[in-house]
Amino acid sequence: MSAQFVLSDIRHEYRAGVCTLADINLTIEAGEHVALVGANGSGKSTLLKMLDGLVFPSAGTATALGHNLTEDALEDPAFRREFRSQVGFVFQEADVQLFCATAFDELAFGPLQLGLAENEVRSRVIEVSRQLRIEKLLERPPYTLSGGEKKRVAIASVLTMQPQVLLLDEPTNALDPRSQVWLLDVLEEWRVAGRTVVISTHDLSAAEETCQRMVVLSEEHRIVADGTPSEVLAQHELLLEVNLLHEHAHRHRGSTHEHPHGHGHLHPRP
Amino acid sequence: MIPALAHISDGSPRGRRNRRSLARRTADTIRHAVSEVLENDEIASGPELMQQLDPRIKLVSIVLFAVTASFAQSIWVLLAFVVATAGLAAASGISIGSFSRKVWASAGFFGLLLSLPAATAWISPGPVLVPLGPLSITSSGLLIAARLTTRVAAGAGFGMLVVWTTRWTDILQALTAMRMPDIVVATLAMTQQQIMSLLRTVENIHLARESRMLTSGTAKDNRLWVTERMAFIVKKSVKTADDVYDAMLARGFSGAMPSLVRLRAATRDWLWLAASVASCAALLGVDRVLMPR
Repeated sequence: MSAQFVLSDIRHEYRAGVCTLADINLTIEAGEHVALVGANGSGKSTLLKMLDGLVFPSAGTATALGHNLTEDALEDPAFRREFRSQVGFVFQEADVQLFCATAFDELAFGPLQLGLAENEVRSRVIEVSRQLRIEKLLERPPYTLSGGEKKRVAIASVLTMQPQVLLLDEPTNALDPRSQVWLLDVLEEWRVAGRTVVISTHDLSAAEETCQRMVVLSEEHRIVADGTPSEVLAQHELLLEVNLLHEHAHRHRGSTHEHPHGHGHLHPRP
Repeated sequence: MIPALAHISDGSPRGRRNRRSLARRTADTIRHAVSEVLENDEIASGPELMQQLDPRIKLVSIVLFAVTASFAQSIWVLLAFVVATAGLAAASGISIGSFSRKVWASAGFFGLLLSLPAATAWISPGPVLVPLGPLSITSSGLLIAARLTTRVAAGAGFGMLVVWTTRWTDILQALTAMRMPDIVVATLAMTQQQIMSLLRTVENIHLARESRMLTSGTAKDNRLWVTERMAFIVKKSVKTADDVYDAMLARGFSGAMPSLVRLRAATRDWLWLAASVASCAALLGVDRVLMPR
C-alpha cells in the first residue's frame, strides 16, 4: 500500500484563537476504509474537508497523492484536475451538494468539469444512475426529491467522476433504514474494489460495520485513538471521555443497572 | 411567568379571521407557495399543447404576442389577445377558473388601479359618463383605462402561460440554448434550489415557534421575532452559499459551467412559430383598420 494522505502536525483555526484541529498526525493508505469518529464539534468535518482541499492547515503540512495540498497547488489546473478526479466528497447536507437544475445535470456536472467528451459523460450518468437505481429521478429538480433520494443523487454525482478516494461526511445521517443498508452495500463494493473510503461519523455501529480502521477525535480536537474497530471499541473509558458513549441506567425486572450506550445502539462487548 | 417571545399574535383584534396564529399562517402560506411550485411543475410536465413546444420557440412566440399586444390600440384587438391567452390556457390543461383568478383578477385589479386616473375628466376631457366634479369619469378616459387594463391582462396572461407550461429546468435549458452565459443560468438554477430549501427552513422555524406557543402576545413581540428570524435566515443563506461553493469546488468547478443541453426544434415548433407570426401580423392589421393612425 502507498500513502494517499499524510497529515503532519496539523493545526487548524476557524478564526484567530478558535481551534478546530490540533496536533493531527494521520496517514491514510490506498485502499483503506477509515472512520473518523468523534462527538459533535470535535473537528471531523473540518478534517474531512482538509483531506479534500477545501480547508487548509493553519500550521503543519498536508500531502495528498504525493503533492503538498495547498491553495497554491490547487490553483495549478493539472493538479486540480488530477486531484478532483481522484478524490470525491459527499457532503453531510445533500441540499448544498445539489445545485443544478435536474438530477441528470448533477450527475453530469463533475465529468463535464473534468472536460470529458459528451458521450462519455452521458454513459457515466446512465451507468451510475442504473447502479444506484435513480434512473427515474434524473429529470426531476433536486428540490422535489425526498431526503433519501437527495442523498442517493448526491452520492451518484460524485461517483460519476469515478474517484479512487471517497470522503463521506456523516453519510448515514437522515437516511431511513433501507437507504442505510443500501449505502453500506455501496461502501462494501468499494472495499472489494480496493478504493479508499474515509467517513466521518458519530454512529459507532456504522463505523464498525464499514471500516477496518477507526480514528477517534476528542472534544479538544485531537486524535486520541487510532486502531481497528475492535481495539477502539474496547476502550470504554476513552469513549465515555470523548462523549461517544454515555452511561445509561435503566430497569430490568425490578433491578436497576447501568451500561454504556452509543449512537447506533452499541452495546458493550463481552 | 411566560417569556415574551412565547406569546404570539398579529396584534389585530380577535375574530374568526385571526384564530390561527401569525406563525401558523406564515407556515401555511409558505407550504402553499411550495406546493404551488410543485403543482406548476406537474402542469408543465403535461402532454398538452404548449407543454410540447420547444422552450425556445415558445419563449420567442410568447414574447412576440406580448410585444404585439403592447402595440395594439383597439380595445377589440386587445380583448382578442386576452381571449387568446384563455384559449391557450385551456388547450394547455390549465383550468380557466384558476387562470382567471390568478391572472385576470390580480392583473386586472392592478391595471385598473394604475389606469383609473386616466379615466377622469382631469386627465382625459370628454363626454362625462359619471359626474364626480374634476374626477368625473369620461367616455374617452374610460376607453383609455380599459385599453391599459386589457393590455396588462394580456401581457400577464402570456407571461403566466410560459411559467405554467414550461418546467423551470426547460426555461434554464432555453436560456442556455439562447446563448445566455452559463454562469448566469447556473446562478438562476442555484437560486431556485436555495429558495426552496430556505422556504422549508422558514416554514419549520414558524412551526417550531407555533408548537411552543401558549398564549397570544403583542404585535411588537411578533415584529421583533420576525426581524430576528430574518437576520438568522440571511446568515444561514450566506453560510449555505459558502457550502454550495465548496461543493462545486469539490467536483472540480473552475469557473465554467458546460452543459449537455442540445435542444432541437421539430416541424411542429416551426409551424407554431409561423402561426404565431401570422396571427400577430393579422391582429396588427385589424388594429390598424379599426384604429387608423
